[in-house]
Amino acid sequence: MASEGELGRKWDRCLADAAVKLGAGFGLGIVFSVIFFKRKTWPIAFGSGMGIGMAYSNCQHDFQSPYLLHGKFIK
Amino acid sequence: AGSASGSRRFLLKGSLAGAAVYMVYEQGLLGSGVQGAEALKKAQEALPPAIQEWTSYIGWEVRNVQLPPTPKFDFSPSNSWNKGVQTVMSALSVAPTRACEYTAEGWKYVKDLVK
Repeated sequence: MASEGELGRKWDRCLADAAVKLGAGFGLGIVFSVIFFKRKTWPIAFGSGMGIGMAYSNCQHDFQSPYLLHGKFIK
Repeated sequence: AGSASGSRRFLLKGSLAGAAVYMVYEQGLLGSGVQGAEALKKAQEALPPAIQEWTSYIGWEVRNVQLPPTPKFDFSPSNSWNKGVQTVMSALSVAPTRACEYTAEGWKYVKDLVK
């Protein structure tokens, strides 16, 4: 597995995760805005921002830990 | 009675919001980067059959004409970026040669016009 290929895969994963988290944050922001906050805009912005922040944090961990394998802990 | 209906309403709203958050969590949208990428891949795979189903449900399928095949969303940003960089670099590497050729052709054209 070439290292530049692995880097490309990490970037792809990062961007895909960012899109998913932005969408999820946006969606949850809409839900909370409609249900609790009388259709104000700020919950949507807050949710989107949270999604982007979570994606950034995940990307940071992924890029800074090159030797970790992604696995699942089965009890 | 007013406070009872108000608390019932709040419970209903809370349940809806909690259900939405749980659904998002359960799909793995709030987890690690790997889970998020897998969720996007699953959504991309589910999209073309869903489009097909909806178009046939609405009735846009014409019997005589075949609809174009639903596009595949197998998109890799890193591959596209690398191809773009390679294209730009190869264009830059041939740019001086091409500029000389076009200059010579243009000069020849002007000379022929002036004759």
